[in-house]
Amino acid sequence: MRFDVYSPLVLSLLLSAAGPVIARRVAPALAARVLTSAAVLTAVATAWSLVLLAAALLGDVPPVIREAREDGHPVADPVPGVIGFAACLALVVIALRVRRAVRAEFRTRRALRRLCAGHPADTELIVAASATPRAFAIPGRPGRILVTSAMLSALRPAERRVLLAHERAHLAHRHGPLVTAATLAAAADPLLGPVRTAVGFLVERWADEQAAAAVGDRRTTARALARAALTAGGAGPCALHFTDRAVTRRVAALQTSPPPRLWPVALAVLLLGTLAALLAADATSDLVRQLSGVLS
Amino acid sequence: MAGTGSRGRAERRSAGALESEVLAALWATERPLTPAEIQAGIDGALAYNTVHTILKRLYDKGLVLRDADGRRGAYRPAKNAAELTAEAMHEALDRGPDPIAALQQFVTGLRPEEERALRELLAGGGA
Repeated sequence: MRFDVYSPLVLSLLLSAAGPVIARRVAPALAARVLTSAAVLTAVATAWSLVLLAAALLGDVPPVIREAREDGHPVADPVPGVIGFAACLALVVIALRVRRAVRAEFRTRRALRRLCAGHPADTELIVAASATPRAFAIPGRPGRILVTSAMLSALRPAERRVLLAHERAHLAHRHGPLVTAATLAAAADPLLGPVRTAVGFLVERWADEQAAAAVGDRRTTARALARAALTAGGAGPCALHFTDRAVTRRVAALQTSPPPRLWPVALAVLLLGTLAALLAADATSDLVRQLSGVLS
Repeated sequence: MAGTGSRGRAERRSAGALESEVLAALWATERPLTPAEIQAGIDGALAYNTVHTILKRLYDKGLVLRDADGRRGAYRPAKNAAELTAEAMHEALDRGPDPIAALQQFVTGLRPEEERALRELLAGGGA
């Protein structure tokens, strides 16, 4: 209990440090999956550890202590009161953050549903007659691809095919739910923020690799990305939210061979997540023993 | 360069995917296109008959208009739904916080030096 209960916090930091490195070295499909799984496990373990720390305050409740003294049990207080209160506070913050993330998710879905209105249900591509160059996948059943007319006219035929294949890969491999899971994990455990960013980058890389395989040409895929980015860049500085050199890194990645799967690294990441869960479980049994020892 | 495959037909495209490509080709230009022009404007060999079949399907769905601008046999995309979608998109974009910015966009913003590097990439190697 003394150490286990704090370990998910340490593991969150480790995972966040490892995430960006793994994002560059490991095949994106594998890396995105293991990082998301580990992030979800770690976030749940972290939240649960905070619940345990807060629950340990019960040991300080006067009736419990009085009863324990009457029974002649010494009360071994595993958690200082200050930490218990801090844990309560952290839990409230987490609840608020998760609520905000879930609401944002629903808001996005509502907005996306409205974009599909008026288009036949069995059509994959939805074009928006807009001068703003944009392209994104709309998850759902069936998933749709939204591209603006400005983006379509900026690209050459082979590059349009890359764009469509890229967005199709997002839908086929369910990148929407994957990113949502990573987002919620980072909302529950702010230490996992870098992992969420890494997963966001990895699903783009994953879709790039799929598109390159679909058109059978990495060079054309890189050029499609470059042209789309330059077109969108000209639309104004705040038209697109900024991520750290993501497009340049994706273009660079397409100019070399696809990264290897590196199973040992993937397993190590999964182990981090599993370890967080196991240690949290161990801390739980410790606390239960301690409290029941006091209460019995 | 390692891993740069030859320009090949790596995957058979489904009917839905072909439909998207024809529609994208029509939207990419201002003027109406004949099936032969569309065939030329699509990456990869596609039989004329296939293009024709896809156009008929798009026409039946109301996504394209035929004999556009007095050009017999030429097609152009129908604008109504696309304009409504654009309106809804801009509404969503203007109303902060941007619910669409949260999505995975095909591309994101660029720094000036990144822009230069990408321009060089496109300038090099022709095509």
